[in-house]
Amino acid sequence: MDDLYRSELMEIYKDPTHKGDLASPSISLEKQNAFCGDRLHLTLKIKNNIIEDAKFNGEMCFVSIIGADFLLEEIIGKTIEQAKKIDQAKLLELIDLNLSTSRIACATLTLKALQEALAKYAK
Amino acid sequence: MLDTLKIKADFPIFKNHSDLIYLDNAATSQKPQSVIDRITKFYSSENANVHRGVYPLSEQASEAYDLARKKVADFINAKSAKEIIFTKGTTDSLNLAAASYGLDNLKPDDEVLMSDFEHHSNFLPWKNVCEKTGATLKILNSDDDGSINQKEWQSKLNKKTKIVAIAHASNVLGTINDIKEISAIVHEVGAVLVVDGAQAIPHLQINVQDLDCDFYAFSGHKMLAPMGIGVLYVKEEILSKMFPYQLGGGMIESVSLDEVVYAEYPEKFEAGTPNVAGAIALVSAIDYLSKIGLSEIRSHEIELSEYLLDGLAKIKKVKLLGSAAPSQRTGLVSFSVEGIHAHDLSDYLAKQGLALRAGFHCAQPLHQSRNCGATLRASYYLYNSEKDLEVLLNNLEKAISYYG
Repeated sequence: MDDLYRSELMEIYKDPTHKGDLASPSISLEKQNAFCGDRLHLTLKIKNNIIEDAKFNGEMCFVSIIGADFLLEEIIGKTIEQAKKIDQAKLLELIDLNLSTSRIACATLTLKALQEALAKYAK
Repeated sequence: MLDTLKIKADFPIFKNHSDLIYLDNAATSQKPQSVIDRITKFYSSENANVHRGVYPLSEQASEAYDLARKKVADFINAKSAKEIIFTKGTTDSLNLAAASYGLDNLKPDDEVLMSDFEHHSNFLPWKNVCEKTGATLKILNSDDDGSINQKEWQSKLNKKTKIVAIAHASNVLGTINDIKEISAIVHEVGAVLVVDGAQAIPHLQINVQDLDCDFYAFSGHKMLAPMGIGVLYVKEEILSKMFPYQLGGGMIESVSLDEVVYAEYPEKFEAGTPNVAGAIALVSAIDYLSKIGLSEIRSHEIELSEYLLDGLAKIKKVKLLGSAAPSQRTGLVSFSVEGIHAHDLSDYLAKQGLALRAGFHCAQPLHQSRNCGATLRASYYLYNSEKDLEVLLNNLEKAISYYG
């Protein structure tokens, strides 16, 4: 049973690197997972088209925490255009979890929030 | 307790999934071979549309469909088979009640009353009807055990109340409400009582005349029958004044370009080709339940509730949602585990063959009122044993130490 999730993921789940709230974000966004009601708060700091920092917060499950932490790790230091190119397939490849169809919504919650936030920021 | 091994042998799903521990019966029940066979038999050798053909197959299908209506009426002790409308399920039944009765009878000064534990299917249709008619929707807040106290009734129920819509049993708390007592106070102010019976009918012997409710809605699929067949019972004096919900074939007496004469009820409320196979198979489900005995099933569930509640009380971090006693709840317990998401727990349990529901169980306002997130729900039925619940408890402890 111990192989349900890889042990390095268990460590991230218990102490995620990018969990928290940025003090003065360039943009922030709330997103709810309709499947379970989880609420995510995403904050981004953007300067000269570069995502300098990003944090997520909220009451979230294992899969959504892993999805959020891997995604933010991936986009910090990248340009907005590079971040916009990350899609569901790319994120699922990054986290490499054997997910049932109902849990894909959990894994991609932060990704959806990120894409919404970036679209909003561009306006 | 029931001989669950013998009962399980009647349900082919357990042959095809030998490791399955099915604890999601409040969502839908499994089906016995006799119900599955009845559907096959209808489509293999009895299939024809009803109330239309004058050839033998159609006449036999019509007779079987009418007989199903009579048997359902007997099962819930309705005064007449005319009071039984076949629907797609509870949601369809409640939408019918709201659209047909609610829309025509509510005015801007009127009030509709419902509890905070309603399933979305008994909440949204009434909310919608109130918005369309200008009537006011009021909510009865329940106590921790899921009951509504006298003070709450006294402060919210009055002469303006025209409809009270309430679940016979909550699909999250499991609490069984005293419908007989509720119907007495509702009728005292001249309002009608709509009961969502989806979670009660699989477990309790329903007697609509004794309950004295005006509407009683339920689904077949939670009581061993197929999905897509349900019932709306409506007291005849109300039904006779209701306008049809949907219009089309099968529900008219005569139609010209200028004038329509509708059929008599209940056909008037069953536009289109009905789910004949579903209605007939619902009777097979009723026969199966009656053979085992509803009161035997009920005692069995109470013992399972006692066992599960005892076991959960011994696990630290487990928080129950709803505090009803085993005899006051249907066969279910909802709970959360401090610090661990319900979906993570259900993922872990699923890997052990345990099928449980995690989430809000289509009752988000209830979770909001209790200030809690997603919960896990274990719901059991006649084929579940103490052993099933023992496996659940053991794995729950393992899951807690895994994520903890």
